[in-house]
Amino acid sequence: MPKHYRPPGKKKEGNAARYITRSQAVKQLQVSLPVFRRLCILKGVFPREPKKKVKGNHQTYYHLKDISFLQHEPLVEKFRDIRAYDKKVKKALAKKNRDLANRLLTRKPSYTLDRLIRERYPKFIDALRDLDDCLTMVHLFAALPALERERIPAKRIHHCRRLSHEWQAYISRTHKLRKTFISVKGIYYQAEVQGQKITWLTPHAMQQVLTDDIDFNVMQTFLEFYETLLAFVNFKLYHSMNVNYPPILDSRLEALAADLYALSRYFAANPVATMEDSQVVSSSGSEQAEVQQKGTQPDESELRLAQLQHQLPSNEPGALMHLVEDAAGEDEDDEETMKCKSLFKNMKFFLSREVPRESLLFVIPAFGGVVSWEGDGAPFKESDQSITHQIVDRPTQGHIFLSREYVQPQWVYDCVNALIILPTEGYMVGRVPPPHLSPFVDNEAEGYVPEYAETIKRLQAAARQEVLPMPGVGNEDLDDPQNLLVEGVISRTEANEAAERKRKMSILEKQYHDELKMELQGIQYSSSVSNMNKQISVEDTGAREEPVPDLQQIAEDTVNMSKVVMSRKKRRLYEAMQIGKERKRSNVNLLKERKKKIEAAQTSQKN
Amino acid sequence: MKEKKEKEKSVQPHPKEETLYIEEPHDKDIPEDDDSLRESESGGSESSEDEGFVNRGDGAGLDDDHRQEDVHENAETHQGVEESDSSEDEVAPRNTVGDVPLEWYKEEKHVGYDITGKKIKKKDRQDKLDSFLASADDSKNWRKIYDEYNDEEPYVDWFKWDDAKHPLSNAPEPKRRFIPSKWENKKVVEYVRAIRKGLIKFDKPKEEPRFYLLWGDDSSSTEKAAHGLAYIPAPKPKFPGHEESYNPSLEYIPTQEEINSYQLMYEEDRPKFIPKSFTSLRSVPAYENAVKESFDRCLDLYLCPRARKKRINIDPESLKPKLPSRKDLKPYPVTCYLEYRGHKGAVMSISTEASGQWIVSGSTDGTVRIWEVVTGRCLRVWEFGEAVSYVAWNPLPELPIMAVCVGPDVLILNTGLGNEEEQKRIKELLLVDKPTALEDSGNSTSWAQDDKYDAVRLKHFKTVSSVEWHRKGDYFSTVMPADILFGLILFSFYLAILIHQISKKVTQRIPFKLHGLPVSSTFHPTRSIFFISTKRNVRVYDLLKQKLIKKLESGVREVSSIAIHPGGDNVIVGSREGKLCWFDMDLSSQPYRILKCHPKDITNVAFHRSYPLFASCSDDCTAYVFHGMVYSDLNQNPLIVPLEILRGHTSTNGRACIREEMVRGLELHYVSFVRVCGAEDVMLERGCLRGSWE
Repeated sequence: MPKHYRPPGKKKEGNAARYITRSQAVKQLQVSLPVFRRLCILKGVFPREPKKKVKGNHQTYYHLKDISFLQHEPLVEKFRDIRAYDKKVKKALAKKNRDLANRLLTRKPSYTLDRLIRERYPKFIDALRDLDDCLTMVHLFAALPALERERIPAKRIHHCRRLSHEWQAYISRTHKLRKTFISVKGIYYQAEVQGQKITWLTPHAMQQVLTDDIDFNVMQTFLEFYETLLAFVNFKLYHSMNVNYPPILDSRLEALAADLYALSRYFAANPVATMEDSQVVSSSGSEQAEVQQKGTQPDESELRLAQLQHQLPSNEPGALMHLVEDAAGEDEDDEETMKCKSLFKNMKFFLSREVPRESLLFVIPAFGGVVSWEGDGAPFKESDQSITHQIVDRPTQGHIFLSREYVQPQWVYDCVNALIILPTEGYMVGRVPPPHLSPFVDNEAEGYVPEYAETIKRLQAAARQEVLPMPGVGNEDLDDPQNLLVEGVISRTEANEAAERKRKMSILEKQYHDELKMELQGIQYSSSVSNMNKQISVEDTGAREEPVPDLQQIAEDTVNMSKVVMSRKKRRLYEAMQIGKERKRSNVNLLKERKKKIEAAQTSQKN
Repeated sequence: MKEKKEKEKSVQPHPKEETLYIEEPHDKDIPEDDDSLRESESGGSESSEDEGFVNRGDGAGLDDDHRQEDVHENAETHQGVEESDSSEDEVAPRNTVGDVPLEWYKEEKHVGYDITGKKIKKKDRQDKLDSFLASADDSKNWRKIYDEYNDEEPYVDWFKWDDAKHPLSNAPEPKRRFIPSKWENKKVVEYVRAIRKGLIKFDKPKEEPRFYLLWGDDSSSTEKAAHGLAYIPAPKPKFPGHEESYNPSLEYIPTQEEINSYQLMYEEDRPKFIPKSFTSLRSVPAYENAVKESFDRCLDLYLCPRARKKRINIDPESLKPKLPSRKDLKPYPVTCYLEYRGHKGAVMSISTEASGQWIVSGSTDGTVRIWEVVTGRCLRVWEFGEAVSYVAWNPLPELPIMAVCVGPDVLILNTGLGNEEEQKRIKELLLVDKPTALEDSGNSTSWAQDDKYDAVRLKHFKTVSSVEWHRKGDYFSTVMPADILFGLILFSFYLAILIHQISKKVTQRIPFKLHGLPVSSTFHPTRSIFFISTKRNVRVYDLLKQKLIKKLESGVREVSSIAIHPGGDNVIVGSREGKLCWFDMDLSSQPYRILKCHPKDITNVAFHRSYPLFASCSDDCTAYVFHGMVYSDLNQNPLIVPLEILRGHTSTNGRACIREEMVRGLELHYVSFVRVCGAEDVMLERGCLRGSWE
């Protein structure tokens, strides 16, 4: 019997038995395709790549175990119930029985996802590991408008906003933020929570562009899961900080909004109080409301402290500060956190109208700064004399306080990435700031170090040694030409020159040693030296003539020869690696070429 | 019966397990019709039900009073809104502030702005007492409303009452105004039943806190991934590079020409993201693909098949095999040492004399030249007028003759070297008494004396490509490669390879059947074994027993040349794809090692006669020299190390031909090449290492 022949009635085995296509899976589960999609998204089931695709190449394959895992999901039954219920409502509406429809709608069956989250992320660390997409999505939706057309209610958007603020508040308060990057796509942040690096992207605070080729159903399913996940994560994080979750919005908030000024003055008088708690309470929509909330926050949190878990006396004005300080002190901060915390220490920032306030209100306190803004509810006003930096983003600044520095917002982000206070000259009002570099790139590995990165590196080194940086000395600290060769910084000719120099040095050294030896042996110096010199010169010329043949050719030959002996598999692998390297190198070369051109253009302009 | 039906009706819409909650507006119906219901129910048969209901009704009554008040309030506000709506329809509002809460203007002296932008002043408030009195006087006061929005009291009556003498309608009040409605009653009964059954509930479902400490204690949760399958986490999105910055370094921004050139690329090759620079943060617009990219990521997460791929993170240099240092393997040829100039066409073949003093070269310009190896002096030239395809010295040192292939003829030339005694013997040997011929169905090979060159001429029926001498110098074999067209003739397979004996001037066919087109042949260096390479594989025959010993399967597409190790147990085969196969005859019929060294055809391969060296030369104008050590210990595999690539040849007519050979000499060991130099003189090169080589 041939091996491939399976007699009827015998069980299937191998890939044919282990993997099924999507349509088979849908059929087996007895659900519709959209429901299947929802299930897959919520349960985190993904297609797999079987070694042998039994049903053809163009199919998606799911593992049979994954599908039976879905089959036993109570959610499937729940979805069926919901569908049946929806039909009931529809029927009632069709019969013009509004009463019944309304009554039915009030008791719609619902489902929760907490069990799923627990199942997918058995440990908290797992959830943190998978938080990148979640945060990016929630932050994106927080910036989207409510869309009736796509059935995205305003409530949802607000919930996203609230969650994102809760998250940011935690990060900011515990000083876990590590890197920031303003890109064209938005602002990237990277935080380190429990040793996990979490990176997310927040879009620029603008009206987002919506295109038609987006299926919001899929996105909403994802969002649904992500919202729940983030809420539970926030809960856990707040719990670890001994703060109640969800942060209760006081009903008197609106009434309190009247005496905002008093509170902000209270804030200004005690600059230790950080803003993070202000963000704990989510906003209920408009920018203004949020600002107001931020102002009211200390008071509100005080209320909360009193009525909830904290035993501190609420009437005492210092209570909140104590709490904050305690919380900060309790953390067994690692070194990095300490560094982050003290970056903007003793600095007071004021934000002008035109800068991205939300982002800066998040970033500056995360690095220990005190911040205020132009508008209602600000903790202190622009005229405050103790302000050290004012962040502006306008072509010219009309009235200037001499006591403070006016910088562009990029300065804050660059400082944060470099973890030092950069000089502000480059970031003054009206100037084009120096290039903003990504902190996520390993310049050494990439093979190309932008100029400004070098400058920052020097400044960092200078800051470490507590020595003031010397402008323009930078390029001279080339130490060992060999190292630089490895880095690919200097060109071939330079390398040759360096090698030449080295060789001469070694010859001289050798001569010196020989002389020493001779001295030891007691040979008379004068007679031997002339001989030696001759010999050396002969050697020198001989050595020089030797590598006349094309060095490049020789190098190529050695590579070729070792390739000849490799097995085919290894050779292919080696060649593939070379291709990758070559691509990288060509990219770097392109950058260098452009740089050269730009520099040439600049010098010609000057002349 | 009727009641039962009603019951069913009321039950039908609500499935048993559902608990319903009814909104307040519906409730207000209940108390109104309470009494009537009781009346109608009292007539019914089931008294127990009745009683229960009465109790219930009383209890509900208290609540309902409160509700009624609420409802009234609601109704009033409703009315107000409706009125203002209708007034809006008729008169355009003066106030332009829009639909804002009027509380904002509570403290102000104006209520808004008119169409020209002027403030609309509030009217002075009337005294409450005055206004009450005024309203008491005016009988139509109840029709008046106050328009808060515009701060005025518009009143436009839709009917002129002044002149009317009669009421609008004189019809008597219908009866239905005086009796309780039957349908309302039914509805109420339905509700009551539902309430009693618990289908309608008034208390709101208790809200549980949605979020709680999901991960209480991580240490306790050791449960694995639910279904025993390896969970493959999705790869994280790529981190942004410098080029994604809003203000990247200038070198990251492509020039306009580069951007234009992107348009010429294929869609999928085009860069997804073109860096842009903004001079300030405020000028950065919203990213147009933000939602799209997020959506794409979602699709990736749930639609893309995931598989674990092993990422090889090794240094490519570590892939290279550890080879012994080349210095330890000296001597071997390194550079070009001498050129032999004189040929005017491509040199097809060279051969060295057994002593190593002379080499001979045959060229397409129709000449054969003998050179002295050390000096490069050209000793002798023969001109044949036809391209010489192959030359071969006799391996016996005391018999300095050579075979030359000129078209279909093979000439055994007397080189004139050697002492007189040897010359005499050669003269004797090369004397053909009478032309003989091998007659075989029309194809013939004939021996004849050639007086012009003082040689023996063997006429073949087809072009001869190569001649190989037996080690004893008496026999030699010729190969006539069967063209594909002629290969159809079956006989040619038998006749393609012929073995000639020079002492007897006899030609004989090989007694084996060939499978495939023969390419070349060689004799074993020590035993009476004969190698014939066909296009795909090499066949090894025992000449004494006259049978096949072995078949070596090269696996290459087309074999071009073959060489035997002086030890006799190893064979190298060069192919037209540039691959070199090393066979260990004792090991297997498969190649022990395949070396892919040349990008183009290998034209020839050769072993050194004493040193562990072998070489291959190819159409790509290079020759590889390898160290090929064969150990006497049978357990140890041969060691193959590439040593050197010899260059320096140029090729203009596309096909360059090199023949190299390693010769055992007294003090001369060399690899020599013959190359074409376009229009220039043909040069014959010898690569030789100075110093250590000799």
